[in-house]
Amino acid sequence: MARMIAARVATSVVTLLLAAFFVFFAVQALPGDVAEQLLGQNATPEAVATMREQLGLDTNVWVRFVEWLGSAVTGDFGTSLVSGESVSASIWTAFSHSLLIAVPAIVVGIAGSLLLGVLAGARRGTSVDSTVSVLALVAMSIPEFVVATVLVLLLAIAAPVFPAVVLEGPDAGVGDLLPAVVLPAVTLVAAMSAYIIRAMRSSTIDGLATEYAVTAELKGVRRRSVLWRHVAPTAVLPVLPVISINVAWLLGGVVVVESVFNYPGLGKLMIDSVSTRDLPVLQAIAVLSALVYVVVNLLADLVALAVDPRQRTLHRPRRRPVVAAAVEEES
Amino acid sequence: MNSSLHRRALLAGALGGIATVGLSACGAPALRTSERAATGAARAGATMRIARPAASAAETLDPASSLSAYEYLGALYNRLVKLDRAGETVPDLATEWSSNADATVWDFRLRGDVRFHDGRRLTARDVRYTFQHILDPDTASPQAGALDLVDGIDAVDATTVRFRLATPNAEFPSLLTAYQCYVIPDGSAGTIGRTGIGTGPFVLEGFTPAGTGRVRANEDHFAGRASLDGIEFYSIQDTSARVNALLARQVDLLLQTNLDNPTARVVAGSPGTTVARVANAQWYTIPMLATSAEFKDPRMREAMRLAYDPEAVLRTALQGTGTAGWDNPVPPELSAHLDHRREHDPERARALLRQIGREGFRTRIYTSAYEPNLTAIAVAYADQVKQAGIDLQITNVAADSYYTQVWMSRPLMVSYWFTGRPVDQLLNQIFRSGSSYNEAAWSNPRFDRLLDAARADTNETTRRQKYQDAQRLVIEEGADMTPVFGDRLVGLSEEVVNYDEHGFELDYLALGLKEV
Repeated sequence: MARMIAARVATSVVTLLLAAFFVFFAVQALPGDVAEQLLGQNATPEAVATMREQLGLDTNVWVRFVEWLGSAVTGDFGTSLVSGESVSASIWTAFSHSLLIAVPAIVVGIAGSLLLGVLAGARRGTSVDSTVSVLALVAMSIPEFVVATVLVLLLAIAAPVFPAVVLEGPDAGVGDLLPAVVLPAVTLVAAMSAYIIRAMRSSTIDGLATEYAVTAELKGVRRRSVLWRHVAPTAVLPVLPVISINVAWLLGGVVVVESVFNYPGLGKLMIDSVSTRDLPVLQAIAVLSALVYVVVNLLADLVALAVDPRQRTLHRPRRRPVVAAAVEEES
Repeated sequence: MNSSLHRRALLAGALGGIATVGLSACGAPALRTSERAATGAARAGATMRIARPAASAAETLDPASSLSAYEYLGALYNRLVKLDRAGETVPDLATEWSSNADATVWDFRLRGDVRFHDGRRLTARDVRYTFQHILDPDTASPQAGALDLVDGIDAVDATTVRFRLATPNAEFPSLLTAYQCYVIPDGSAGTIGRTGIGTGPFVLEGFTPAGTGRVRANEDHFAGRASLDGIEFYSIQDTSARVNALLARQVDLLLQTNLDNPTARVVAGSPGTTVARVANAQWYTIPMLATSAEFKDPRMREAMRLAYDPEAVLRTALQGTGTAGWDNPVPPELSAHLDHRREHDPERARALLRQIGREGFRTRIYTSAYEPNLTAIAVAYADQVKQAGIDLQITNVAADSYYTQVWMSRPLMVSYWFTGRPVDQLLNQIFRSGSSYNEAAWSNPRFDRLLDAARADTNETTRRQKYQDAQRLVIEEGADMTPVFGDRLVGLSEEVVNYDEHGFELDYLALGLKEV
């Protein structure tokens, strides 16, 4: 188990490095750079050259990457090229704001989706199953920004229950943000629940058809008990990768949703940084997103280990079968 | 069998119903807005909430900077002079001005009763400092190029400022109406970006770049106290998020936002919100890069002009909300505007193309989502020039690199400016040879000489004649086409009264919220 975790940590570090590397050179490949973006229509070649010098963009690309790597390892992600503020501070603020949306969305979304999936799988073929499946399919096919816009129309404009946008920008405090969290969270739940519901549904159907479930039924165990005590825990296993991917997606890339609601989170920071080519911020966001993916995947594996005892022995070194056979022969 | 037939009929009926509803929605009524926004008595003690796009994440309150937070400037500061609706220079901080015989020395007399927000009196030294700051190369102000001709500035006495010019310019005062020319206190360049201390109708209470800001009414403003008690500014980058904020009544007015026609219909049709029109506020251009192989030949450019009908482009691309430009860059409102309609003759265009061996000419026309109407205009123009056998491929590129990668480097694109420049600044800044804003890289020595002659001409009538001759040159030989001027469609709450914006002028004094 310790060996497993150690191996995972090693691969995680490699993943982080690769993410930083790719983002750095991808942004370099984009046309235009920070100096041109900041000066906009007024960019004369001399002004651009001066600004590049000021921002240190005229040094060699590889040198800059290695320098960045050096300071990143110590936790210093530099300062934003556009606003001059500390990158770690702005990223941390944006990330905490995104968590305000993501955590309720994850908790409610996962719990709800798993329940609905089990329900649909258990009552397969009935109207409950059809309704859940069709709704899930519809939610999966509609893009998030359409869902977001419809929600804004219904619950912020037609009936002013929630605010349509966050007005305060990055300075917003938790009190300002809380009422504005509901609609984005609902949008995200709608976007990600479909996958989990359908995965859980097919997993439950398979589970109910296994020999041990059928045996339990024949033995007289109540259907409800068979479903919730025996089938559901095992059915969760194949769904864990789907869940972990959705969770990581939520935390890393809620770009569209945050844009529609002007919500000052990580996704909006990423959009703004791409359009201004603010490299240090983008690097830090890339590393953070990769870290989130890695941690969430690790958690998913640990949960799998906890739920499924068979997985715990999978990584133990196997005894050589020859020895066992020899022992048997001798006895 | 029976149940499946029944279900099939149900599905067909549902599809038919949806189709009917959908099609009827497509026939939505055309946009109907009044010519002027609502006027009337404003209530006392109101605070208006305004949503605007941030100029940049590093925006500043320094008016001279290229990253100035534009919407705050008119509220916090004043200029020496400003423009009226016809483009004539009228007093603001300066009460009168005069020049010497050959228009190389200009004296401005200032009002005596003006104080900055920190209590200090306005004097000629503040004005001198302001313009030295604009001309300072470290400031890199966009207006520095236009004010290049200023040799020196003297504070003759407390209320008289003297500008000494290297070359004559009879229209010099109009160059001081630009929105970089707001007057800041003497010695404040280092801090003005945060403090916003000016002489304007509002005093700064708080400002976060690309965030929120607050201003409150200046009780001692020289032109009277504003109707509003305060204004709150909110920065929202995404246009649809801004519109949603208006529709949900979280804000009262959207500044620097030109709504596209479908969105304008939604805003006009929603309860509590409406759309105001600022006539001809958007100046759309199609620059043909005169240094490119495609458009070096003036006959090619002539063919591109003759081939299209600006009225048709106005009808199709802007649904008639605007005025046909007929390739004259000077907006119709300005008193110096030349009313000259060139011909629309696709057959002659075709003949010209044959003459220069460019029959069946093909090239790309670039556009982007930078402004909502650019693509519509590109499509309408491309459709029009088909009449002369010209084939244009519409090429859509990313909005965030449109002005860094495409502008002034690709042969043909669609662009836009805000109208509001006075005629001398307009023609010199955008059409003179070698100017950094000359988007078509057009160079015509006869045109430059005309402009110089106009500037040296102190007789108003003959000077205006020269500017009109210059316009004729642009129309007939230029490389930067002006198909249309578009009305800006501004979204605002039905509570807003006295919203009055033209060019770069917004009346912050009269702006208010309706009396209940």
